[in-house]
Amino acid sequence: MANTQETLRERARILLEDGTLDYLIGWEAGRFEGQTTPLIIRTVADVDRLIYNEYCVHLLAKYPLADKTTKKIGVVVRGCDARGINLALKDGQIERDRLYLLGIPCQGMKDAQTGEELKKCRECTHRNPVVYDELLGDLLEQSAVADRFAEVNRIESLSADERYDYWADVFSRCIRCKACRDVCPTCTCKECFTDQAAKGWQGKETSLAENQNYGITRMFHSGERCLECGECERVCPKGLPLMQLNRKVIKDVHELFGEYIAGIDDCTPSPLDHYQLDDVEEFM
Amino acid sequence: MSLEQETLNAVQENQGGAVVQEAPEAWKPKILAFTCNWCTYAGADLAGLNRMKYPADVRLLRLPCSGRVNPQFVLHAFQKGCDGVLVCGCHPGDCHYSTGNYFTRRRMLLYRRYLEYFGIEPERFQIRWISGSEAGKFRDTVVDTCEAITKLGPNHKFREEGR
Repeated sequence: MANTQETLRERARILLEDGTLDYLIGWEAGRFEGQTTPLIIRTVADVDRLIYNEYCVHLLAKYPLADKTTKKIGVVVRGCDARGINLALKDGQIERDRLYLLGIPCQGMKDAQTGEELKKCRECTHRNPVVYDELLGDLLEQSAVADRFAEVNRIESLSADERYDYWADVFSRCIRCKACRDVCPTCTCKECFTDQAAKGWQGKETSLAENQNYGITRMFHSGERCLECGECERVCPKGLPLMQLNRKVIKDVHELFGEYIAGIDDCTPSPLDHYQLDDVEEFM
Repeated sequence: MSLEQETLNAVQENQGGAVVQEAPEAWKPKILAFTCNWCTYAGADLAGLNRMKYPADVRLLRLPCSGRVNPQFVLHAFQKGCDGVLVCGCHPGDCHYSTGNYFTRRRMLLYRRYLEYFGIEPERFQIRWISGSEAGKFRDTVVDTCEAITKLGPNHKFREEGR
């Protein structure tokens, strides 16, 4: 990791000096031990602030999207970041030639408080970046992941009333801070339905019904495009099991329309973007 | 105790969170049917012309195409007090806009499973293809749905309180 950090700083220095990049997005150390925060560096003087260690938990894929100028942006990408970038490219959110991707094969990140590997990293299916301009470090062998759908299967095996009670309990704890929406790499709408109270898409009342409306609809908007980066679950201040929603949709997509891995490339249309004449027929 | 006092007590009890007991005989389901203008709505019209009898518990909402049904409409219907939701459109291949219902099919396949995951009974949310000439199928669908939902009773899931 220390080696990767040195290589990263070295490359960042060169790329910023020769003008290839206008700025680079990476991580810097936070105020507390093990804490990191995303960092944008514009000058060579800041290069030593860049770090790469086992606590770089933030997904960087969404940061370049806010810049609608023609500036050239460097992004440090691991597997999840790279898939997020692919998704943004597919959605036409940014042009490929504006990006310079420094790929890092990721060993998995740790929780600063417990020192254990993060849940989202334990369930990771793509540790190597799927798109990059240059690679820092050697590609890793993808380790086997335990059944990602075990929790979904467990909930599905409950009765309808038990399922409702389970989710009512989850959503009753939601405070609608919208952190999951803000951090999600698939959420790129300029105007989100959750901000449109006047139009009636999302009320402002503090109630279970509004929480359910928010939680259920937000996930269905991301839907099959979910990268399984697990950021929603990581940022949730109430610790809600949000990946259980995402994985349900992903599991159904696999069953109904075949295997689809979001962000694996920047051209495959997502399942709800297109159709087949001989799709599963259940509504005759 | 006067009648007024009794009513007041009942209201106060209700505000205290007690569930309102609805008499089973008096209760009729409220079903919202999203119908596409070109097929199902015409089919419903034909059912009317042929004097077919079907329960009046279904409310038709006419849309240009079943592809217009935003999944959130369905959730909102349950939240605002519907006991069942029907989404009806042209048979695949017959869409007035060529491809609308193919997208509906994929979207609703997912959304139906998704809502069931949150505890909605499958009978409460149904999708059917009904063409303009299938008046009989429209009637049968409405009759069957009403029967199934009457058996299930009022829907309390996702309901906004106090409505």
